[in-house]
Amino acid sequence: MRVLFVCSGGMSSAIVVQALKKEAQKQGLDLEVMAVGTSEVETELKKGWDLVLVAPQVKHRLESIQKIADRFSVPCDSIPPQAYTPLGGALLLKTVNERMKDK
Amino acid sequence: MNGFVSFLEKNLSGPMARLSEQRHLRAIRDGVISALPFIIVGSFFLILAFPPIPKETFVAQWANQHVNEILIPYRLTMFIMSLYIAFGIGYNLSKSYDLDPLSGGQVAVASLLLTIVPKVVEEEFVLPMTNLGGHGLFVTMLVSILSVEVMRFCKEKNVTIKMPEQVPSSVSRSFEALIPVALVIALMSVVTVVLNIDLHHVVDQVASPLVKAGDSLFGVLIPVFLITFFWSFGIHGVSVVGTVARPVWEVYLAKNAEAVADGSSQIPYIAPETFYQWFIWIGGSGATLGMVLAMFLFSKSKYLKTLSKTCIVPGVFNINEPIVFGAPIVLNPLLIIPFVITPLITATLSYIATAVGLVTPTYIMPPWTLPAPIGAYLATGGDWRAIVLVLINILISFFIYLPFLKMYDRNMIEMEKEGEGDTEIA
Repeated sequence: MRVLFVCSGGMSSAIVVQALKKEAQKQGLDLEVMAVGTSEVETELKKGWDLVLVAPQVKHRLESIQKIADRFSVPCDSIPPQAYTPLGGALLLKTVNERMKDK
Repeated sequence: MNGFVSFLEKNLSGPMARLSEQRHLRAIRDGVISALPFIIVGSFFLILAFPPIPKETFVAQWANQHVNEILIPYRLTMFIMSLYIAFGIGYNLSKSYDLDPLSGGQVAVASLLLTIVPKVVEEEFVLPMTNLGGHGLFVTMLVSILSVEVMRFCKEKNVTIKMPEQVPSSVSRSFEALIPVALVIALMSVVTVVLNIDLHHVVDQVASPLVKAGDSLFGVLIPVFLITFFWSFGIHGVSVVGTVARPVWEVYLAKNAEAVADGSSQIPYIAPETFYQWFIWIGGSGATLGMVLAMFLFSKSKYLKTLSKTCIVPGVFNINEPIVFGAPIVLNPLLIIPFVITPLITATLSYIATAVGLVTPTYIMPPWTLPAPIGAYLATGGDWRAIVLVLINILISFFIYLPFLKMYDRNMIEMEKEGEGDTEIA
């Protein structure tokens, strides 16, 4: 499963990505996650991702990112603020799993 | 409280954040940001030309003798930043309209160039560079948008030359751009050549009150407040406020750099973006490095202790989303108070310190992820007093956050005793 994280510059989500990876490892899941800035979403989506998650601080851009994701028919949602911390791995993984189920 | 917060979010911060997503504002934002690498790298040649070492040393003397040569890379990057920004705005705006972004960038560059009249010097054509720099940024925004809008108009009204399908797409694209390019060039030529209007001069008249206001103490405190206000709702404040303010901040930076490059001892502006970055947003928006330190040293709840450990290193590099969403500060009245107050105080102090000449105004743009003392030292062209100011600001932040943190910490301990806090850590 490949999940793309989007925040303003790709910096802060890189930290959260680490938390998610650790949690996934704990549960023995195969998860590929990458963090990018909002301007790189389009280029990145061409490479094929299963899910786009938008960081809470750029949720006002969710709509425009959603539009791009729709074009590639990739599901897209925002990350709940409580999950967007280095300690939020478990909640984050739950979010990812739920979104993938919806698909 | 919750009702009030959701009222603010629904009626104020939400709509304002969405406004910053307006197409043209977004194109300007992304266009300016696309030029930052050139501004960052170009500005560093100012340090090479004016190294922060004693004047008697051999290196300083050598640099002094070769100032003009050392500054050539700066002159062709940061000094003419508007040229790069024009392409960036044209590219991004046309992309948002699904027009050919390459043509959009090029037509924006052409229209910017057409606001300037070449001079003949010693029988050679020479392009005056000043208006391609920070000075021309407002005109750049204007004409870049205008020229892409002309492109869009032509496309919508089908005023283009259509090629048969057998023609390769790259060829047909260049023909498609023909009419809009002709229109833009004709229009700009009429303004600059036929009517003999200096757009830069006109826009200067309009923009100068704004440029002046943005460098006042009040003009600093408003964006500072707005940025933490947005973050209090979990919205990336700099990215929203910067959409409107960054062009002005970049003008200040460019003019400061120009003054230094010209050997002037007077650096004109206090508040370029670098001022906010290095003196106020230490550890990230809200000046949270002091907070993370206070949390690390004094918090007793398991949750805050663990969180502070994971947040110190990112905080040193000015990344604070982990703490903003982790503590959380977002929608947490107790922590929002120091989060809003601290930067207003450190901003006022830093503003005064710069205004009375205790600290050199910033004119170099180091990458924002450097630790603040290093960044501030570089941004001021190597002024050690900038480091002192940064350390004082960290202390101020530490002590303002401390009492609020202690209160919050007590609440957390209570919660952990009740066994609710554990689930969050797991």
